[in-house]
Amino acid sequence: MRIDSTARPWPFSAVLLTTALVFFAVAAAFFAAIGQSPLKVMTDLVLFAAGDGFSREETLLKAAPILLCALAAAIPGRLGLISVGAEGQLHLGAIFGTAMVLSMPGAPAMILLPATLMAAACGGAFWGAIPGWLRGRLAVNETITTLVMNYIGVLMVNALVFGPWRDPVNLGWPATARFPDAVDLPVLPGTRLHLGLMLGALLALACALAFSRGIRAERVRILAMNRKVGETFGLSFPRHAVVLMALGGAVAGLAGIGEAIAIQGRLQPGLSLGYGLTGFLVAWLCGHRFLPILLVSILIGGLLAAGDALQLYAKVPASSAVILQGLLFVTVLAVPGLLQRRTA
Amino acid sequence: MTGAPAEAVPMVSFRGVTKRFGTLAACDDVSFDVAGGEVVALLGENGAGKSTLMKTLYGIHPPDGGEVLIHGRPAAFARPADAMAAGIGMVFQTFSLLPALSVRDNLAMAWPGTPWYLGKRGRNVRGALAHLSQLAPGINPDARLGTLSTGEQQLVELAKVLNLDARLVILDEPTSVLTPAEAERLYGLIRAIAADGVAVVMITHKLADVEACADRVVVMRRGRVEGEGSAAALSRAEIVTLMMGRTARGDDPRGLPEKPPLPARPRPQLLLRRVSTGDQTSDARDVTLTVHRGEILGIAGVTGNGQTALAEGVAGIRDLTDGEVLLDGSVISRRRLDPRRKLHIGYVPENPRENGIVAGLSLETNLALRSIAERKGASRRMTSSEVAQRLAEYDVRPPEPARAAGTLSGGNVQKLVIARETGEPREALLMVFPTMGLDITATAFVYDRMVAAAAAGAAVLWISEELDDLLALAHRIAVIREGRIMAEWPVTPGLTRTEVGASMTGGPT
Amino acid sequence: MMDLATLFFVWGLASLTNATPLILVTLGETLGQRTGVINLGCEGAMLGGACAGFGAAMATGNPWIGMAAGAATGLLFAALHAALVLGARANQLAAGIAVWTLALGLTSYIGRAFVGGKVEALPSLAGTWLTDLPIIGKGLGQLSVATPIAVLLVLAAVWWLERTRTGLSWRVAGESALIATENGMSPTLSRLSAVLVGGCLAGLGGAVLSVDYTQTWANEITKGRGLVAVGLVIVARWNPRLVLPVCLLFGFAETAALRLPAMGVDLSSYVLSALPYAVVLVALVANQITFRPGAAMPADLKRVFQ
Repeated sequence: MRIDSTARPWPFSAVLLTTALVFFAVAAAFFAAIGQSPLKVMTDLVLFAAGDGFSREETLLKAAPILLCALAAAIPGRLGLISVGAEGQLHLGAIFGTAMVLSMPGAPAMILLPATLMAAACGGAFWGAIPGWLRGRLAVNETITTLVMNYIGVLMVNALVFGPWRDPVNLGWPATARFPDAVDLPVLPGTRLHLGLMLGALLALACALAFSRGIRAERVRILAMNRKVGETFGLSFPRHAVVLMALGGAVAGLAGIGEAIAIQGRLQPGLSLGYGLTGFLVAWLCGHRFLPILLVSILIGGLLAAGDALQLYAKVPASSAVILQGLLFVTVLAVPGLLQRRTA
Repeated sequence: MTGAPAEAVPMVSFRGVTKRFGTLAACDDVSFDVAGGEVVALLGENGAGKSTLMKTLYGIHPPDGGEVLIHGRPAAFARPADAMAAGIGMVFQTFSLLPALSVRDNLAMAWPGTPWYLGKRGRNVRGALAHLSQLAPGINPDARLGTLSTGEQQLVELAKVLNLDARLVILDEPTSVLTPAEAERLYGLIRAIAADGVAVVMITHKLADVEACADRVVVMRRGRVEGEGSAAALSRAEIVTLMMGRTARGDDPRGLPEKPPLPARPRPQLLLRRVSTGDQTSDARDVTLTVHRGEILGIAGVTGNGQTALAEGVAGIRDLTDGEVLLDGSVISRRRLDPRRKLHIGYVPENPRENGIVAGLSLETNLALRSIAERKGASRRMTSSEVAQRLAEYDVRPPEPARAAGTLSGGNVQKLVIARETGEPREALLMVFPTMGLDITATAFVYDRMVAAAAAGAAVLWISEELDDLLALAHRIAVIREGRIMAEWPVTPGLTRTEVGASMTGGPT
Repeated sequence: MMDLATLFFVWGLASLTNATPLILVTLGETLGQRTGVINLGCEGAMLGGACAGFGAAMATGNPWIGMAAGAATGLLFAALHAALVLGARANQLAAGIAVWTLALGLTSYIGRAFVGGKVEALPSLAGTWLTDLPIIGKGLGQLSVATPIAVLLVLAAVWWLERTRTGLSWRVAGESALIATENGMSPTLSRLSAVLVGGCLAGLGGAVLSVDYTQTWANEITKGRGLVAVGLVIVARWNPRLVLPVCLLFGFAETAALRLPAMGVDLSSYVLSALPYAVVLVALVANQITFRPGAAMPADLKRVFQ
């Protein structure tokens, strides 16, 4: 067999650079189209994302759930699964975690916080394991099941906070009682940066390590690249699908309870600002590689944080951030393929 | 048999056609003619260059040298579509049909006369069924193609080719997928097509095909035309000699190793008891075999007769619908093989690039797949010096442990698989078409290792199409046809390839 | 007895009305998948159609112009998906999600102007010959004209796939691009046209949803109906004939979610709202267990699904 050395004529860095340039051109065109000066908006974006201490904190706070959701997509992604279920897993995590908080409100932080985080991880894992099992054993496509289960997860949170968990003190406002201080996430002294971000960073590093070396990493890689050969040697694809989907779900579950505790201080609707989808985008952009995910999550966190600020100060519509994400995703999918095609 | 009508200009003439793949000349200066109304059997063993020659004509592999004349005019087709337009139709072994669609739709999709509106129940594409209803009036045009037998599907494919007004029809090993009765029917149809003035080339390695319907025989061996003549004038023995060449055993140019001696007291090591993987002719059905320690049992058969299913069943990739597999006296299968016990069986699958390696991973990882899969794999992992040594020992080139396995050449992929599967002593070794597509040196290497594994005490189950090799190296030969074991012999000097071949093809000796 | 029959009839009509947008989207997605392209972006096309359709209907006061605008917008989003998948050879599932994300942002941006807007619904069947039918006529008169149009489009799709050469080439493309090429067809052209037609139908479905059914615009108004449609195509076994009953199942679950509280069922409306999604999930799983849809799946789709 002939090995074709011309199959990848574009070096990775060139593809990356071209993609970035195309994206900036598209984004500039979009800003021009909505009547904003592209140059001004883009400098503002950088300024509001990283201009001062407050912006940088805001960026990192936004980055935390995105990072966790990106990990939730990337972990099963390593087995070749396309899971878009972080949104639902995040909500299930929030439900399980909240249940723990509400069930023992008086417990000391030493017990309550770890128990809550564990419960949240279990909730997310549960919501991830279902599509994993369906894929592994019954060959039901995991992309479709995760997407449909997202809606169920969100509605379950609504059902609870509009129903049995609504705090009567709230006078009809749908939310649980305020969480006790014992469950507050530890913060870096002098900042608002809470455990969630640190946890995300640690998990990203741990995943980077766990999925690059060691026997389990190799098994995942073998099954992802050639399921038949893997099964020849007795590796179980279904088992791996369940475990990795559950692990991913657990991480997304942490994002859910993290948002509930740190941002709202209670469980209420509007828990996630589309973090699941954004996380999926980040994971895909990074080719399910964990260290780039850490970086890109912060970049996208900056985009979202600056988007919020721009909405206030520059009357740039809030939806711009989502549109930019869409444009970014389209560009990333289109440009490399078109480059390869032209030279093929 | 009808005589070919005399024509001044032949339908097709090959003039010195040459086709090389790398250093290998698959076709070397091939010249012969085919006239309209004539059935030519293009005979030769696997790899003799028959299919390649026809693909040069059909626009799949444009020739490197020589030319093809159609009606005396030079023709060079870059694509099959051009060849089709010139009235050349080819029936491949793998049909260009869609099993999920009805017979009618399959014919309508390629029929030039199909109108835009197909009409109620395909009323407007009746014309596409004309040839089929002549060839096989029994086939229901509304049936899903996938529900038809292979033989019937082949007739649909043939009808599709005739729908294109083909003046030359090429059939690639048409009877290899047919039952004897279906083959008989096909012979009749081929005669009928030829009687209409169509030129037919039948690529085959079966003498029965020649006797049943060929006017003329062209025999190829190692890319060259060894001889040709009228089918009536050539005797069976003459044709076989042309196909095989006169190689005396002993000074075999292929450099086969010595057959290993059988142990004095043979002990059964690998047992298959009534193993079935399903009830199709491509499944293993009710297979019972015993392989002893140190013994090589060869399974001969025409491709597609259940070999793949049998191998995958014994390798534990495919569920067994019935029967059991025993290794060293204990049952290791229920529906599937026990994943831990099956790792004691070395498995060299067919098409190793797809089924034997993980192309994107390193040579080192591919060598270690077995220990990676085992529960306590990490502790039994080879050290890097052991890896380097193993690669050197099995002559895997280039011997770079970190290189991606997919970048290796075919021969080296197979060496890598064999290094993994025979590097340590195994209780049993299962090899499936292990030399397919390999050159002479790589083939010799594979056989060396197989013989060495047997000498070291493994029970070797070796599935192959290469009759000469089976006769030279196996202790016993069993024949598989339509998924069943049809015959079994100890290999003695008295066992001839004719006898085994007859059993493979189901014809009389 | 009569009451039960009446209830059944009323619920059936309500289910049909609920399901009408979904029927259109699922039909469009079925056509695309029959050629071997899975388009999660049909959620985006539907959303775009709902937004543009509502805007156009609001601006012109003519719901039919809204339908046309919706279909055209759906076509645009489908064209983007086709460009990514067929032009840039991007992963089909990821490309669909990208299109969806973009549509989510764009409709949320453009739709700001439509919040609180008023539109005229499509005419109902009241006054047509259908209302003259005995017993059921009165009920049928309450249906929007969109419903019979959707049903007719389903029949047209069946006719198209089974009775025309182009439809045959679509089916062939879905089974094997390679064999389509070998037999002198252009699978890429088939896929492009089917995805575009599918986008039109999704956009039309969105417009029916916003202009005719809810008669309001709200962010993310489709609530995953397009994604549900992708799953329902599997349950319908890629057969446009089965699109109707399968979508009715979802419509029925929605009707139940809307009407059960009024009948004294004490369940959170949010739990009930999750019912349609749960039904889809159960249908997908049940379908897989009982049927192993691998058999009906266009063979070239298996590359994407597995």
